[in-house]
Amino acid sequence: MTILATEELSRSFPRVTALDRLTVTVGPGVTGLVGANGAGKSTLIKILLGLLPPSGGGARVLGMDVTAQGAEIRRVVGYMPEHDCLPPDLSATEFTVHMARMSGLPRTAARERAADVLRHVGLYEERYRPMGGYSTGMKQRVKLAQALVHDPRVVFLDEPTNGLDPQGRDEMLALIRRIGTEFGISVLVTSHLLGELERICDHVIVIDSGRLLRSSAIGEFTQATQTVTVEVEDGRDLLAARLTELGETVTAEGRALLLRVRAPETYDVLRDAVCDLDLCLIRVEQGRQRIEDVFKEPADV
Amino acid sequence: MSDIPASPPGGPHGPVPPVPHGGPQGPAGPVGVIHDIGYRHYDGPRLGRGSATVALAVHTLRGVFGLGRPARSKIIPFALFGIMMLPAVVSIAVMAMVQQRAMEYTPYATIMQPVLAIFLASQSPYAVAPDLRFRVLPLYLSRPVGLWDYVGAKLAAMTVAMFTLLAVPLTVLYIGELLVDMPGSPQTSEYLAAMAGAVGLAVLLASLGVAIASFTPRRGLGVASVIALYLLASGVSTVVAAVMESVNDYTAAGWAWLINPFFLVDAAIPVGLFGTEPAAPGAYPTGIGVAAAIVLMLALIALSVIALIARYRKAASR
Repeated sequence: MTILATEELSRSFPRVTALDRLTVTVGPGVTGLVGANGAGKSTLIKILLGLLPPSGGGARVLGMDVTAQGAEIRRVVGYMPEHDCLPPDLSATEFTVHMARMSGLPRTAARERAADVLRHVGLYEERYRPMGGYSTGMKQRVKLAQALVHDPRVVFLDEPTNGLDPQGRDEMLALIRRIGTEFGISVLVTSHLLGELERICDHVIVIDSGRLLRSSAIGEFTQATQTVTVEVEDGRDLLAARLTELGETVTAEGRALLLRVRAPETYDVLRDAVCDLDLCLIRVEQGRQRIEDVFKEPADV
Repeated sequence: MSDIPASPPGGPHGPVPPVPHGGPQGPAGPVGVIHDIGYRHYDGPRLGRGSATVALAVHTLRGVFGLGRPARSKIIPFALFGIMMLPAVVSIAVMAMVQQRAMEYTPYATIMQPVLAIFLASQSPYAVAPDLRFRVLPLYLSRPVGLWDYVGAKLAAMTVAMFTLLAVPLTVLYIGELLVDMPGSPQTSEYLAAMAGAVGLAVLLASLGVAIASFTPRRGLGVASVIALYLLASGVSTVVAAVMESVNDYTAAGWAWLINPFFLVDAAIPVGLFGTEPAAPGAYPTGIGVAAAIVLMLALIALSVIALIARYRKAASR
C-alpha cells in the first residue's frame, strides 16, 4: 500500500528551487524526511497538503491528486507545523475542540476526541489553562494533538522535536512511534537530525536542495553509524596507538578520535585503554552521521 | 550481580515472605487505577466545509465579545454594549414617566457613532490579527476550509457583532414603547427603517474594519488604524459640510455628509429607501444622490472584500 507518492515533483520560487524533480514513495508506518534547513522539507509538506501548487510533476496522497483533490486530502490528513501556531488566550481544550470542529466533527464528537487526544499526548490538568503560559514541551504536545484530533489517516509532522530538551525529545519521539504503530496512523516526520529519526522510523528519505539523496529502510542506515567520538584531555595519540595495538580502528579528527565499533566489547577496550593510560576522558559520543556522509557513501549493503 | 541468592527450586518468584498472623489478608491491589483504553479511531460523521465555516464564525463571534476568554477580554465589549443600551433604557424611563420620546429610532446609530466606532476599532482586530500574529492561519488552511470560507466567516462574525450592538437597543426601545403604551400609534415603520439601516451599517462597518485590521498582525496598530480612519472621515465630513454651509452651498454640504460612513448608510437606507428624516445636521442630496449613496455603500463593501481576499492570498502563500 502506498500512502503518498511524488513523481518528478518540482517547485521553484522566484529566487530558489525548493524541489527539483523529486520522486519518492512512502508506505505505511513512520517515515522520516531528513534534510538540512532549506532542503525543501516544508515545501514538500505544503504541496502534499494541496496548499502550494507544484511547478512541475505531480504528487498523490492516499491515491488523491494534490492539485485536483486538495480539499479531500486535507479532510483525512493531519498537519503539525514547524512554527508556533497557538493563540495564547485559549486553553488547550478549547483550541483542540475548535480545530476538531474545523475538520468537520460535530460538537459532541469534537469534545470527546479532544479530551481523548490530549490525554494521549500527555496533557492533563494544565489543558484548562490558557496556552500563553505553556512550556515549549506542552505547546508541542498541543500542536500534535490538534493534528490528531480528527483521527486522520496520515499526519505530517514538521520538526516536532524543535526546541525540546533531551527528555522532551525522547518523549516526543516515543509518542510519534506510538502514533505510527499503536494508533495505526501513518506518519511523515521531518527533522534535520538523522540520528533521532533512526530510532523511530521504518523508512528514511534524505533530501538536499530539493533533490533525493537517498530513500531506504532504516536498517541500511544504522550500519553506517557505528562509530563513537572519543575526546581526551592530553595524550590523544597515545590512546590512538593503544587502541590500534588492541585491534581497533581509529582515525584522528581534530582533537578527538573516531573509533569504529566492531562489537559491544569495543566499549570495554576503550574504557580499559583510557584507565590503563590514566587519561582524562572528556567525552564519548555516539557518532552522528551527517547528511552529507549519506551522500558520499551510498548504501554499500 | 552475583551476590543475589539463587531462587529456590520450584519458585520462580523467589521466597514468599511469611505473612504475620492477624495481618492484612489477600493481595492489596493499587486503588484507583487509571485504565489506558488505548487509541480509539473515529468513525462518526464528518461534516462538510459549510459547518466548519459556521463553527469558525461562531468561534470568532465569541472571541469578539470575549466569551470563553479571560475576564479582561470581556471588559471592553460589554462596557460598550452597556453604553449602547443606556439611551434606550433612559428613553423608556422618560416615556413611562412623562409620556415623551427622548430618543428616536433612525438617529440612534448616528448619535451613538463614537461608541460603535470604538467597538469596531477595538474588536475587529481581535477577529483577524491573532490568526496572523500567532500563525493559526496555516492550521485553518490545512483543513477543508478555503480562503473564501475563512474570510466569509470572519466578515459574518463581525457583521453579526455590529448588528447585535445596534439592533438590541433598538428592539428594547421598541418593546419598551409598546409596553409603556404611548399616546398615538407605535412608530413601527421608523423602527423597521432603523433596523434595515442597522443591517447596512453592520455590513459596511464590519467589512471596512476587518479589511483594515487584516493588514497588520499587531492588534494595537489595527485598533489605531480603524479609529484613525473613522476620525478622519467624520472630521473631514463635518469640516467640509460646515464650510459649504457657510457659503450657502447646501447641495455640496449634503454630499459632504456622505464622507462619514454612518451618514452614508443613513442616507442610503433609512432616508433613501424608507423616507425617514435625515439624522445628519443637514439634508442629504436627493434624487441621484440616493442612488449614489447606495452605490457608494456597496462599492465600499466590495472594495473591502476584494482587499481582504488579496491580503489573505498573500498571507496564505507564505
